Amino acid sequence: MSETTYVQLLYLACGGLLLTSVLMLWRRELAVLIRVFAVQGFALAVIAGLAALHHGGIELGAVAVGILVLRVGILPWLLRRAVAAVGPASRETRPLVNVAASLLVAAVLTLLAYAVSRPLVELAPAAATSAIPIGVAVVLIGFFVLITRRRAPSQLVGFLLMDNGITAVGLLTTAGVALTVELGVALDVLLAVLVLQILTGRMRETFGDTDVAELRELHD
Amino acid sequence: MSALGIVGGVVQPLAVVAGSPVLVGMMRQVRARLEGRAGPGIAQPWRDLRKLFGKEPIAPRGTGVVFRAAPYALVATTLVVSFVAPLATVDSPLDPVADLFAVVALLTAGTVALALAGLDTGTAFGGMGASREMTIVALVEPTLLVAVFALSVPVGSTNLAAIVSSTLRDPARAISPASLLAAVALVIVIVAETGRLPVDNPSTHLELTMVHEAMVLEYAGPDLALVELASAMRLGVFLALLANLFVPWGIATTAGPFAVLGGVLALAVKVVVLGLALAVGEVFLAKLRLFRVPELLAGSFLLALLAVAASFFLA
Amino acid sequence: MITLLMLAPVGLPVLGALAYLLFGWRPATAWIAAGAAAGELAAAIGLAAVVDLSGPQIAVGGLARVDALSVFMLLVIGTVGLLATAASPSYLAAEIRAGRASMRTAARHSLLVQAFLAAMASAVLAADLGGLWIAIEATTIVTAFLVGQRRTRAAVEAAWKYVVICSTGIALALLGALLLNYAAQHTPVRPGLNLVGLIAAAHTLDPAVTKIAVAMLVIGFGTKAGLAPLHAWLPDAHSQAPAPVSALMSGVLLSVAFYAILRVKLVADAVLGAGFARALLLVMALASLALAASLLIAQRDYKRMLAYSSIEHLALIATGAAVGGPLAMAAVLLHMLGHGLAKGVLFLGAGQLSQTDGTSRIAQIRAVAARQPVLAGCLGFGVLALIGLPPFSIFASELGIARAGFAAGLGWFTAIALSLTAVAGAVLVIHVSRMLLGTPAEGPGAATASPRLPAAAGAVLLAGLTLSAALGVTAGPLTGLLHSAAVIAVGTP
Repeated sequence: MSETTYVQLLYLACGGLLLTSVLMLWRRELAVLIRVFAVQGFALAVIAGLAALHHGGIELGAVAVGILVLRVGILPWLLRRAVAAVGPASRETRPLVNVAASLLVAAVLTLLAYAVSRPLVELAPAAATSAIPIGVAVVLIGFFVLITRRRAPSQLVGFLLMDNGITAVGLLTTAGVALTVELGVALDVLLAVLVLQILTGRMRETFGDTDVAELRELHD
Repeated sequence: MSALGIVGGVVQPLAVVAGSPVLVGMMRQVRARLEGRAGPGIAQPWRDLRKLFGKEPIAPRGTGVVFRAAPYALVATTLVVSFVAPLATVDSPLDPVADLFAVVALLTAGTVALALAGLDTGTAFGGMGASREMTIVALVEPTLLVAVFALSVPVGSTNLAAIVSSTLRDPARAISPASLLAAVALVIVIVAETGRLPVDNPSTHLELTMVHEAMVLEYAGPDLALVELASAMRLGVFLALLANLFVPWGIATTAGPFAVLGGVLALAVKVVVLGLALAVGEVFLAKLRLFRVPELLAGSFLLALLAVAASFFLA
Repeated sequence: MITLLMLAPVGLPVLGALAYLLFGWRPATAWIAAGAAAGELAAAIGLAAVVDLSGPQIAVGGLARVDALSVFMLLVIGTVGLLATAASPSYLAAEIRAGRASMRTAARHSLLVQAFLAAMASAVLAADLGGLWIAIEATTIVTAFLVGQRRTRAAVEAAWKYVVICSTGIALALLGALLLNYAAQHTPVRPGLNLVGLIAAAHTLDPAVTKIAVAMLVIGFGTKAGLAPLHAWLPDAHSQAPAPVSALMSGVLLSVAFYAILRVKLVADAVLGAGFARALLLVMALASLALAASLLIAQRDYKRMLAYSSIEHLALIATGAAVGGPLAMAAVLLHMLGHGLAKGVLFLGAGQLSQTDGTSRIAQIRAVAARQPVLAGCLGFGVLALIGLPPFSIFASELGIARAGFAAGLGWFTAIALSLTAVAGAVLVIHVSRMLLGTPAEGPGAATASPRLPAAAGAVLLAGLTLSAALGVTAGPLTGLLHSAAVIAVGTP
């Protein structure tokens, strides 16, 4: 693969990453969010695959396959089950901030990400590292989704969005984080999601079908 | 002024004026067929225009010069844009005017003229339509500027012809993240600007949902014909610009007759494809509630902004 | 031999967990948990002797490393772990009698507590930041089920918040770790995330990138340590978890997370000088202190009250770490141990109280002293230990932090921190004295047979208090270890 094709495809995948993050902020229906999440996982797998082809690492290739399986297959499947579990009452997210305002916040966050991650790009200017700000922006947008959503399944989406951003930063900064660390990370994410999945199940058990997952029992 | 520029200056306005009503007719026909109706045929807009032009000019009592001048302003601004913008040929007789900011300003001037005309009638519908249109325009214009600006960053010029020819030279640029994001943003704002679903329903006269139709409700005869022609032309120009900014191939770069003919044909094909896609999409879309529209437009603004950021940082 | 000693703190709880998996919870297996914790403590003492004799040790192919600082943390884990697990059998038995838990719940509880201990031990033994991160994330996953054990509405919600907020924080830490790794790649030696290697290569790390990485790591691990801005999980999780788990979380988990911050701070100080981490920690500490003190005042639930007091103490520890220097660091480490003991005693006592009185409302509990004198005495002395009265060890450590703070020229910050601590202490005493003192309600229905404190639980509470008091008088055999751990935590300027 020639250098320019690599760069083009890499940037295209990064653009897809950013576009899907914005879509997640934009759309309300959880079913759509999960589909967008799967698309984002695919973009992430493409980034990993490109890195593997470019640096020629088998480890990275394994990571790409792992990302594909985990983020396009397993996690969306788990999410869909979680949404099905909480019932029809909460199939739409209910953001605390209205969508237009949160989109504008996302614009500010993106600029912030570019400002903050300037030193990261300057450390080793290259095609991959110049896309780091996009990963950071996805992390920030994910964090924002997480703190502005009231219902449990939408918080989960925010968490996973953030995690996708972190993975993207990891893939873009590295020529090879030790495979063990990558594996540990993937395992931890999977476990965290499983835990959350079980908890949503329990929520339905304890909270009943209506008004699920509103999370307002405990406060000061 | 080059030969290509002169040819373009003659061919493009002609193609836009002649083709736009046909484009609208085609879109209506496709919708009709998809909705299970027979449809009036693709030449119907032209037949309507001919009939309207043949009627006696008439204006409501109490309206002033703004009301009468607005259709001409609308047609004139759109004609100037079709004269200068790189639609069928990359060159134009007034190349410096084919600037991003000038083109957007011209198109906005037309919109504003129509909104003023809506206010000038003094009726409830006119005012309502104008205020809604202004709300939308206030969000659409910045997005339009920012989105095309994102495309102009790598070129280093805001001249539309320069952007188009640079994409011709460097095809890889068409799939960069900046142009991906800008394309999505532009599609949304063009849908909003030309008053299509899901922002405005071009075929409704239901009083609560109209935007564009509410403003032109008081027009009749040749004035109405001009307004209808101008909105068709705006749709055509916007779709042509969208096509050429991202897929410029086929546009005439030399003044030879085959090149120009090829340019016109390519333009027709691209615009028809986009128009059909828009018409098919409209069948499946419902109109957004008006207060959801700013959400949509804020989203497209964000995408445009991201496109600019991406074109700066991923260059 | 050394490998065996280093594997024991992780391996023994894992074996304990296996035992619960195979045999379930029954009278015969109830004390396995305490046995494993005691073994962990013994291994920690053994390691302390080894490290004292021959310096830091590396084992398991370079994945595990032990120095005085990690040995000290192992001691904290072992001690508080022993307290909590020794109180567990009577707690679980009472839960089962009350019908709030089944034998299966008890078995799962014990299994997860063992896994929790193993994860924390592996966190302090990890030789690189990646391992440390994985271990700390593992504690989140394990404890999520412990927090939600009672399956009430509130418990499930607390567990949810706990997992979401802590995973978010820890995800930020992961981002920091990735960025630090990125900086490390662009140095001549490429130390990866090895904690020692990073400090050795400090002068070649890019300062701007390290700054971002350190900020992410400190905020991320700070979440797990209960420091603002991502502290919201702590009161919910601590109030809903079963008492022994609350004791472990408050006494050990927060300290282990802070241990991670200390390790990051070493790298940060070596690359950026002391100023950056100090400013970051001071801001987080003062924000947490202000928040804890203000929310303590109007607190109506005594478990949440104890939880906010944990935020306050961790903030005090963060202040001490920000001050830096051998005296402050020794005080910080001593404070971790002292706080673990005092808070362990208080949470275990509070668990006992909520079992006998069936409520965690401060307003609904009166005259504990008249009904359960031993429990009331333990709670009373526990609070006195917590607010730092002599002879308890927190007095010594708070004094150390204050002296070091004023000596380091951070007088204003130290003064603010101390006054907020004083407010929190006063509020704590007022709330608890309301619960303990007074006369029992007279009249029909009020006079039930006063429940007795189980002997094992009482012994645990007394042992914890005694240890805390003894530490306050003299650090005894710990003196040498504390000194060398503090030297490591200060780092080489």
